[in-house]
Amino acid sequence: MSTASRPDDRSAAPAGDAVLSPDTAAPEQVSDQEFEALLIDMLEPAYRLAFRLTGDKQDAEDLVQEAALRAFRFRHTFQRGTSFKAWFYRILVNHFYTGTRRKRSTMTSLGDLSDAHEIFLYARSADAGLLRADADPSAGVVSRMAEDDVARALATLPDEFRTVATLYFMDDLSYQEIADILGVPIGTVRSRLHRGRHMLQKQLWRIAEELGIVPETVDSSAGEG
Amino acid sequence: MTLDRYTCLETVRRLDDYLDRELSPAETTEVERHLQTCEGCLRRFQFEGAVLDDLRLKLRRVPVPENLEGRLRAILSSRGV
Repeated sequence: MSTASRPDDRSAAPAGDAVLSPDTAAPEQVSDQEFEALLIDMLEPAYRLAFRLTGDKQDAEDLVQEAALRAFRFRHTFQRGTSFKAWFYRILVNHFYTGTRRKRSTMTSLGDLSDAHEIFLYARSADAGLLRADADPSAGVVSRMAEDDVARALATLPDEFRTVATLYFMDDLSYQEIADILGVPIGTVRSRLHRGRHMLQKQLWRIAEELGIVPETVDSSAGEG
Repeated sequence: MTLDRYTCLETVRRLDDYLDRELSPAETTEVERHLQTCEGCLRRFQFEGAVLDDLRLKLRRVPVPENLEGRLRAILSSRGV
């Protein structure tokens, strides 16, 4: 995995956290042993997130390792009582943007997904006659799709929507925590996440059509753009 | 089922925030009051909630390589960390 170094490594630390010099240890800092334990506990969820971001096993492992190295280097900027997960994920996502070149063959354009709305899958399912009054809501289109097909739909979203949606689905993070990780206002997270989910529903329907899980939609707005 | 279309639209507009528990307590109460009387909106909300649960379940199903911790410790050690 290629790694582009940033001119100022302070960017690795979460915004708002001053980067302290090693000789200005604050009482809020955790010990190296505590830090290591926190880091080890985060490795598996971080790998799952990295895999969904990169779409590649080796890139995901490289990303986690580089993020862990960077986290260790800047461990003195992590303060006890704050969210280690948000702090570490921010380093990981920053490194993903700066150091990883994803292997992406397809990314759907924003315009192609701009008509996705709140209840896209529900409306399509109803139009296709897949919803009955006594139907089990969990026996829907997504539950009949494989993990790889769902991941493929997520991977095609435009970057700004895909990253927010990936953080949302891969961990139980609040909008505020996602905002802290990405360094954007909570309103931006809300709008990107909502739009991203609606876009994802449209992509899922397209893939379900390709797989023959649902009947092909005649309406061109749900077909290939 | 309520015939107040605006109330249905307003409720569906809050669907995403409601499912993510990001509404204020007052808004949550309003949405739930509507869902108690509107079968159509209730089904939409149940459908969307089930879709989100399915997506979380499938996307989180990622096999983690063995000895991730061991390899990281080796790298940290080799770099003098």
